[in-house]
Amino acid sequence: MQKKEPRLNGGRAGALLAPYSLWSLIFILVPLVFVAYYAFTDESFRFTTENITRFFTATSNLKADDGTVSEVRTYLVIFSRSFKLALISTLICLVLGYPMAYIMARAKVRTQKTMMTLVMIPMWMNFLIRTYAWMTILQDTGILNNFLTGLGLPVVRIIGTETAVVIGMVYDFFPYMILPIYSIMAKMDVKLLEAARDLGCNGFGVLKRVIFPLSLPGVISGVTMVLIPSISTFYISQKLGNGKFFLIGDAIEGQYIANNLHFAAAIAFIMMVILLVFMGVFRYLTSKVVSGGE
Amino acid sequence: MLLAYCFFILPAQAERGAIMEKIIELKNISKSFDGETVLDHISLDIYDNEFITLLGPSGCGKTTLLRMIGGFANPDEGDILFMGERLNDTPPHKRNVNTVFQKYALFPHLNVFENVAFPLRERGVKKAEIKEQVMKMLSLVMLEGFAERSVTSLSGGQQQRVAIARALINHPKVLLLDEPLGALDLKLRKDMQQELKKIQKSTGITFVFVTHDQEEALSMSDTIVVLSEGRIQQIGTPTDIYNEPVNAFVADFIGESNILDGVMPENFKARFSGHTFSCLDKDFAPGEPVDVVVRPEDVDIVPKDEGMLSGVVTQVTFMGVHNEIIVDIGGFKWMIQTTESVNVGEHIGISLDPDAIHIMKKSKYSGVFGDYSSYSNELDELSDPGGEE
Repeated sequence: MQKKEPRLNGGRAGALLAPYSLWSLIFILVPLVFVAYYAFTDESFRFTTENITRFFTATSNLKADDGTVSEVRTYLVIFSRSFKLALISTLICLVLGYPMAYIMARAKVRTQKTMMTLVMIPMWMNFLIRTYAWMTILQDTGILNNFLTGLGLPVVRIIGTETAVVIGMVYDFFPYMILPIYSIMAKMDVKLLEAARDLGCNGFGVLKRVIFPLSLPGVISGVTMVLIPSISTFYISQKLGNGKFFLIGDAIEGQYIANNLHFAAAIAFIMMVILLVFMGVFRYLTSKVVSGGE
Repeated sequence: MLLAYCFFILPAQAERGAIMEKIIELKNISKSFDGETVLDHISLDIYDNEFITLLGPSGCGKTTLLRMIGGFANPDEGDILFMGERLNDTPPHKRNVNTVFQKYALFPHLNVFENVAFPLRERGVKKAEIKEQVMKMLSLVMLEGFAERSVTSLSGGQQQRVAIARALINHPKVLLLDEPLGALDLKLRKDMQQELKKIQKSTGITFVFVTHDQEEALSMSDTIVVLSEGRIQQIGTPTDIYNEPVNAFVADFIGESNILDGVMPENFKARFSGHTFSCLDKDFAPGEPVDVVVRPEDVDIVPKDEGMLSGVVTQVTFMGVHNEIIVDIGGFKWMIQTTESVNVGEHIGISLDPDAIHIMKKSKYSGVFGDYSSYSNELDELSDPGGEE
């Protein structure tokens, strides 16, 4: 049943890998080292942890809706806000994308192709344009509200709210959730589903005990591919949130534009570490679900 | 054919019926996919505790029939009864039937223990009991000590055993096996045949076995059902099927056969290849055209002048226990299996005992199989669908 992959011998494999190793070195490893280097140095490139501590300790005054002012840790608030919005968007993408990927994978080949194209089409457009499109839809005098007032319904205020930011994120990153889940589900052996039914599972049992555990690698990459860009996005929050929801991406951009490269690098570095830890825990938990049986 | 059917098949059926009770009845089942008929009015009774094999070439409908019993396909027409109750609309998980799938369909995310425990967990059996039952089942299929192994690390034969253990742990009334040995190599296949037979005997579960391999069918089954083009050609014990094939299809499909055109001038007489032979068949109309089957091992080689027929040897293949020779007799190439040694080009005579000749009614399969003029072992292997890889 298992076919052994023919293995290249060491020397030749190394030679073939060389361009890719070089590529990874220049475009992945070196920039990361630079980010870390900047994060731990000051203007004159002396070692310091000040940038890191600043992320955790900087404070500012936050004015709540009822007018009370409280002192908060600036970047922790920004980060938790980013994380919250990104998590909500990721969850929505998952809840919408998982069933859709399943339906796609079980549909006729032609339907599959059509659905795939429909998912992909928005990705062919520049995401700035897509975001502007959502602005015109969601604005107070936009398409949605014109439609609602046309029906005699009251105007809804969406633009400038967290909802608008979440809508933008879900719309932009949805394909990244569907594609990995779909590709795993399409490969899934139908016989396994039949075997589960044969052995006593009803439809829900098959989903819970076979389809879901087997699709988890797709879910993990989907979640990763949606969570990470949505946590670091700045454009969507600026345009759809009217700049009211300062996200971690905005913070990095702002520091960069203000020429605080070292602090910008520190924020990016901390975010990377937090995300790595989060994804590690997520992977660990999901792998327990898979192998644990019950 | 009908008379032959009554004579040879009905006693077998009656005998089965007398000892055992019907567990599955298929009544007048038809099914077509995209306008192509896959099953054409199939009726079949499956008895408790028997090892029954659905045998036929690929595309004969045997797998579809099996899937219907398992609940994965629905008949367009006809009924499936399980212990007297109509089963058509019962979903697979509510049927007291389990399947061993063609490529095992083991759950790759679960280890051996969890694969076998799968049905028990679904039923909410207590932990201690699950452990006990799974271990018992693993020892039945001789996989003790493999419980914690990942199923993907197992060999084909071991995966096969896990699949059998998993399908048996619910103690189904019927076990369906869909070409389960197809992916194993020859030696392992022979061992598994013995073992499956042993498991079937010791558990008393009815086995419905699907295969295209006639040797496998002959060596394992209590009953063989030969299918072709969505129709049952013959039902019977392995000896019935081999010795008394009802038509040219069955004769050709099961073992090697020389199938000749002939007529029955009177009872116990058959005329073919320009000679009139004594035979044991009767009840044909005088002068009725028939198909004559002579198995290669039933032909006696005699000196040229003493033979009923004679011809020239055109090919000799050494097969180990015997020689397989092709003889041209009046333009028809016969296959003969003999322990005697002859040479290519030799002129030999052949003699046939009355019980070596089997007479069949003409059918739509008459004349389609020809003689052994284009025969070679190699070709036979190549045309064997899904055989050894």
